[in-house]
Amino acid sequence: MEPSYRVIPSSQIKTASINDTAGSLGLHDTLRYGIRSIATETRGGEFENRIAKWEETQDNARLHMLANLYGPSAPMRLLMERQIVSASPHMPGMSQSNIHLDILMGRDETLDSTDFFLGMESGPPLSIHNDMEKKLRL
Amino acid sequence: MSQQSVFSSSGFDFSNSVRNKFFQEKGVPLPKATSTGTTIVGCLFKDGIILGADTRATEGEIIADKNCEKIHYITESIRCCGAGTAADTEFTTASISSNMELHALSTGRKPRVVTVMTMLKQYLFQYQGHVGAALVLGGVDSTGPHLFTIHPHGSTDKLPYVTMGSGSLAAMAVFESSWKPNMERNDALALVSAAVSAGIFNDLGSGSNVDACIITATQTEMLRNFVKPNERVEKERHYTFRRGTTAWKSENIRDLIVSEDITLVGATGDAMDTS
Repeated sequence: MEPSYRVIPSSQIKTASINDTAGSLGLHDTLRYGIRSIATETRGGEFENRIAKWEETQDNARLHMLANLYGPSAPMRLLMERQIVSASPHMPGMSQSNIHLDILMGRDETLDSTDFFLGMESGPPLSIHNDMEKKLRL
Repeated sequence: MSQQSVFSSSGFDFSNSVRNKFFQEKGVPLPKATSTGTTIVGCLFKDGIILGADTRATEGEIIADKNCEKIHYITESIRCCGAGTAADTEFTTASISSNMELHALSTGRKPRVVTVMTMLKQYLFQYQGHVGAALVLGGVDSTGPHLFTIHPHGSTDKLPYVTMGSGSLAAMAVFESSWKPNMERNDALALVSAAVSAGIFNDLGSGSNVDACIITATQTEMLRNFVKPNERVEKERHYTFRRGTTAWKSENIRDLIVSEDITLVGATGDAMDTS
């Protein structure tokens, strides 16, 4: 994200993307997700965008302030640590918990609804191959 | 595509939003959530805080719960009354209570009311009022007694006496006429009961009984169903049938065990080998 002091996500220009439904060739995967329609691609209203980007926007503001206080290397160092820690060797299908990342992101001592609600609907993955492909293609 | 985000997801699934918009355009309304119509009050007295609430939960025009609890536990000496969508108030207060416990363990200090207020207001502001929780938060901590209101959009007020919910105007009228600073415990408790009763009798969304909670520096006392102005009278006639009203013609007792065959399990079938 670009450096900014915003603490609340800006209402973005609507974009249509096929990131969620792209197959291995980079096109919309009709066989798995149905016929392509613009209505489903321009995902969500303002509210969905706001809560999806909430943490990222606040984090960006904090990093920008750090850069102004201590120089550009301070946020760079933090981002590098996060990236190192995110390179987890686990398979993308099974349940993952990255406690080192939680500590770095400051959520090791808080409980959020995602900690106990998310993941109940997704069972074992249907095809581990596709998940691995997606992960390793980076 | 791309590596996993380091940020936790919002926890909400919006995949039904296109379908819901379509339904709304066709005239099919969203189902009504259980709401607590409510009268919740709080007031400051000489030794601390008294919180009061009614006990009716409504679901549209129907009463969903005649005796629900609206005074939620946050920490030992902090309590929160909730008005609005019942699920939102219960879940939000429970979640904040857990986080406060972790916070207290991490800092090693007794939790403060302002911390709870800040956590609640930041959470509610993030969801832009969609989390329908209007709260009255009160407690006593190391800095003294504090009383706050938190509105669903995230704004807060710090006041010596507050009311929220659909019966708030009736209750506030009682407070405005009788509240004085540094009241005694019994006077304050009578005032809170009167305020909640005003809400119960003058507002359709509030009813049943009065709950009260007295929080002081040394202890917290929860008075569940403190006043019950709406008890059902005993029915005048009895509608049970006496034994022998219905005549029975024949009796047939069947043993569920048809045949039994006992086989001893174990090598010898004798006593346990404890050598």
